[in-house]
Amino acid sequence: MNEPLGLYIHIPWCLHKCGYCDFNSHATEANAFPEADYVQALISDLIAGKDDLQGRSVRSIFIGGGTPSLFSAQAISTILDACQQQLNLSSDCEITLETNPSTFEGEKFAGFKSAGVNRLSIGVQSFDPVQLKKLERIHGRDEALHTVHTAQQLGFENINIDLMFALPGQTLEQALDDVAQACALDLPHLSYYQLTIEPNTRFHRFPPVIPSLDQAADIQAAAMAAISDAGYTRYEVSAFSRQGAECGHNLNYWQFGDYLGIGAGAHSKLTVGHEIKRFQRVRQPGSYLTAVAEQKQVIQTRLLGSNDLIFEFMLNQLRLRRGFTAADFEQCTQLSWPDTIAPQIDHLLALGHLEQSAGHYFASEHAYRFLDSLLQEFLVETP
Amino acid sequence: MQYIRNFSIIAHIDHGKSTLADRFIQICGGLSDREMKAQVLDSMDIEQERGITIKAQAVSLPFTSKDGNTYELNFIDTPGHVDFSYEVSRSLAACEGALLIVDASQGVEAQSVANCYTAVELGLEVLPVLNKIDLPAADPDRVATEIEEVIGIDATDPLLVSAKTGVGVKEVLEGLITHTPAPKGDPEGPLKALIIDSWFDNYVGVITLVRVFDGCIRPKQKIVAMSTGRNYQVEKIGVFTPKREERSALSAGQVGFVICGIKDISSAKVGDTLSDVSNQSEEVLDGFKEVQPNVFAGIFPVNADDYENFRDALDKLKLNDASFSFEPETSQALGSGFRCGFLGMLHMEIVQERLEREYDLDLITTAPTVVYEVHLTDNSVVQIDNPADLPATNKVAAIHEPIITANILVPHDYVGNVITLCIEKRGVQQNLVYHGNQVALTFQLPLNEVVLDFFDRLKSVSRGYASFDYQHSHFSPSPLVKLDVLINSERVDALSVIVHNDHSRSYGNSLAVKLKDLIPRQMYDVAIQAAIGNQIIARTTIKALRKNVTAKCYGGDITRKKKLLEKQKAGKKRMKQIGSVEVPQEAFLAVLKVEK
Repeated sequence: MNEPLGLYIHIPWCLHKCGYCDFNSHATEANAFPEADYVQALISDLIAGKDDLQGRSVRSIFIGGGTPSLFSAQAISTILDACQQQLNLSSDCEITLETNPSTFEGEKFAGFKSAGVNRLSIGVQSFDPVQLKKLERIHGRDEALHTVHTAQQLGFENINIDLMFALPGQTLEQALDDVAQACALDLPHLSYYQLTIEPNTRFHRFPPVIPSLDQAADIQAAAMAAISDAGYTRYEVSAFSRQGAECGHNLNYWQFGDYLGIGAGAHSKLTVGHEIKRFQRVRQPGSYLTAVAEQKQVIQTRLLGSNDLIFEFMLNQLRLRRGFTAADFEQCTQLSWPDTIAPQIDHLLALGHLEQSAGHYFASEHAYRFLDSLLQEFLVETP
Repeated sequence: MQYIRNFSIIAHIDHGKSTLADRFIQICGGLSDREMKAQVLDSMDIEQERGITIKAQAVSLPFTSKDGNTYELNFIDTPGHVDFSYEVSRSLAACEGALLIVDASQGVEAQSVANCYTAVELGLEVLPVLNKIDLPAADPDRVATEIEEVIGIDATDPLLVSAKTGVGVKEVLEGLITHTPAPKGDPEGPLKALIIDSWFDNYVGVITLVRVFDGCIRPKQKIVAMSTGRNYQVEKIGVFTPKREERSALSAGQVGFVICGIKDISSAKVGDTLSDVSNQSEEVLDGFKEVQPNVFAGIFPVNADDYENFRDALDKLKLNDASFSFEPETSQALGSGFRCGFLGMLHMEIVQERLEREYDLDLITTAPTVVYEVHLTDNSVVQIDNPADLPATNKVAAIHEPIITANILVPHDYVGNVITLCIEKRGVQQNLVYHGNQVALTFQLPLNEVVLDFFDRLKSVSRGYASFDYQHSHFSPSPLVKLDVLINSERVDALSVIVHNDHSRSYGNSLAVKLKDLIPRQMYDVAIQAAIGNQIIARTTIKALRKNVTAKCYGGDITRKKKLLEKQKAGKKRMKQIGSVEVPQEAFLAVLKVEK
């Protein structure tokens, strides 16, 4: 296996943990987190983990969180320098940093750029001050706009903003207003996803009143039409881009490519020889630091069996509008297409849930809206 | 024989029968305190939970009276529900006396009245006992008057007890000895023993509970079950104290068990007479009849893989329930299952619950139906217990449906509601009698209306105060039609019901609306139609879900997403696929929840 892969780096701190957030993020005061120790731990983690990469080229780096932009430009620079030294980065390597408008400082962002960051993903979520408050975001509409504009002035071209819909009490008009403001920024990429109430969140314990399924569907349909009218292509369930501006890092996930994840709680998926494995690292930031020092940061390794591979391949690939080819399947899963999945694919084609064009299999327009149901077709019961 | 007293207890559910029985056992020393588990006699979980006795049992207790003599008290417990009225009558036939237990804070209930009438008809001495006198709401005078008025037995000097505290319990036993006649019979005559009940025991086979009327029964004796003519050799006999204790003989007047190599309980029929092969009795004991199920429903495993387990479970249940029947049924919609016959609705519920609980099966039960007599144009008559079997309309000359006589007791505040309900259910009023605060209503009602939602409705229109008892009356011709349900234009045989023509339209409408509520929204619109023959009489549409894709999915951690989908898939597995529509189990009983 010598396909290029992705590197994910997790920064587990935020200034505030929002009510809907179920990521591995921990609230911290500004500058109260062990930045230097964490950077060193990441580098040790990277050195330990890179053996599994066997020199494969790294095509994307995604620094996510949490709020990675809490870190200083120097810290990000140190991390990226280490990546440069330890890994075989491709010349066009996409390097994304997740940011929140609340942490924006022009000088720091110039530093991120010098450090090598060439793509920003900004967690705007909404432009509506009332909604931002309900979501417990600690920025306002103006900070969001200011962040985008300044980032552009600093020379960042490849910018994404995250936007959510079906927010507490949100009307169709309010949602479309958010979309209009986002599209007016004329950025190359937009993530537009529905607020879901996840277990172990404050919203789960104290549920806000959110739009009904039908209302959410109305919002989604109208918003997607507006986003499309603004010249974006929906290339994945909740990802939209201008021509050629897809997020390479996420695309690799959805193509069921390999990735190494370092940092607290990061997940990895790697093909090593004939084995495809998933790894998970210690979740709690403090424990992670200790674990790395003892080289015990990987707490779980799972070897994927053929049923896992088929399901996980489909779970990811079917989210892509253009779907996948039989060759993609065989290459990613190391399984034989005719011996494993072909009959089921034919069945789903016959039912009209899947369609085929130019060698690609993809969900029909109807099934794309019911992807959860379609994916269940690929779950094999383990008795 | 003069020191034997055979008695049973007539009581409504919750009026304290089991607690009182436990007190008797305690007083007579049948069990040590350590062995004394609450409500000893109701041994099945369901019996304890619901407070309903399903199987009759008996205990033989020694009691030393204040007259200085030690008596053998045989207490025969009776099943406590309308569905089991025949079994109750056989338990009563084994006794000379009965205690009528009435909750002094509540009053007489219809079922107790019916059982009391049976007891009086069988010549039993009925001794009224007012229980729960410790309750603040107890009103013994009113209830005593009610017993006299409604049942017509002397209650001028009722026994007052609190089974809970133990007050008055000894007096009840003394009362039994003075009021209940000693059994009569000829210990030297040919054996005549009544089968009160029988059940299957894994170690010894069928255990038969009998009351000996004449003669004597001993181990090694050759006996005959007179209804079948089959012979058996007695292996063991004895009594329950309530522990099983062997004896060397049971003679005229006594109650006890017989183990004689009977392999299945359908050969030890309740009400049958056991006699001696070499000295056979000339006549059988009165009152024997073959019990016939009168309510039928299809029961199907949700997962076809469970079919064999399901059949095994039914076989096992049948070992201990002679009144339950089943035979294979195939439904287009539900696949392979069984058509099961029950004595009534409660019996059906109990069986269903035991199957799900004791055998861990996911089952779909179709709406219960009664047995119809269908008169065909060629002058033949067929019995139909499944709407799917109804012959084509052009071959049917007439459909006759079973009619019951229902006796309802209800406080007069609710009598209007109850009459309205009975009329809605096509009832014809036969009688109405005021007894103080209570009203006794007699209605002729079609059984097919009763098996649907009559019990629940009766309870709700009377705030739980109405009580109900019934007997089969006759078959009567009626304009009945088969109402079919179509899901996405596909006829679903398991949802068909037979209804009265005048009600068919409103029924069809309500059923379609109810199904719309019960079937979850799916990926496509689902059309629900109700039809009679080819005519569609009602239609609803379950609007399709718009989407179910979860928007957010970052590639890193897929385990949670996978778990969620697995959970959703498991939920669907409990549903039945009809065409492309997933139908939950409850939908097949929608017809029970239709409000007209």
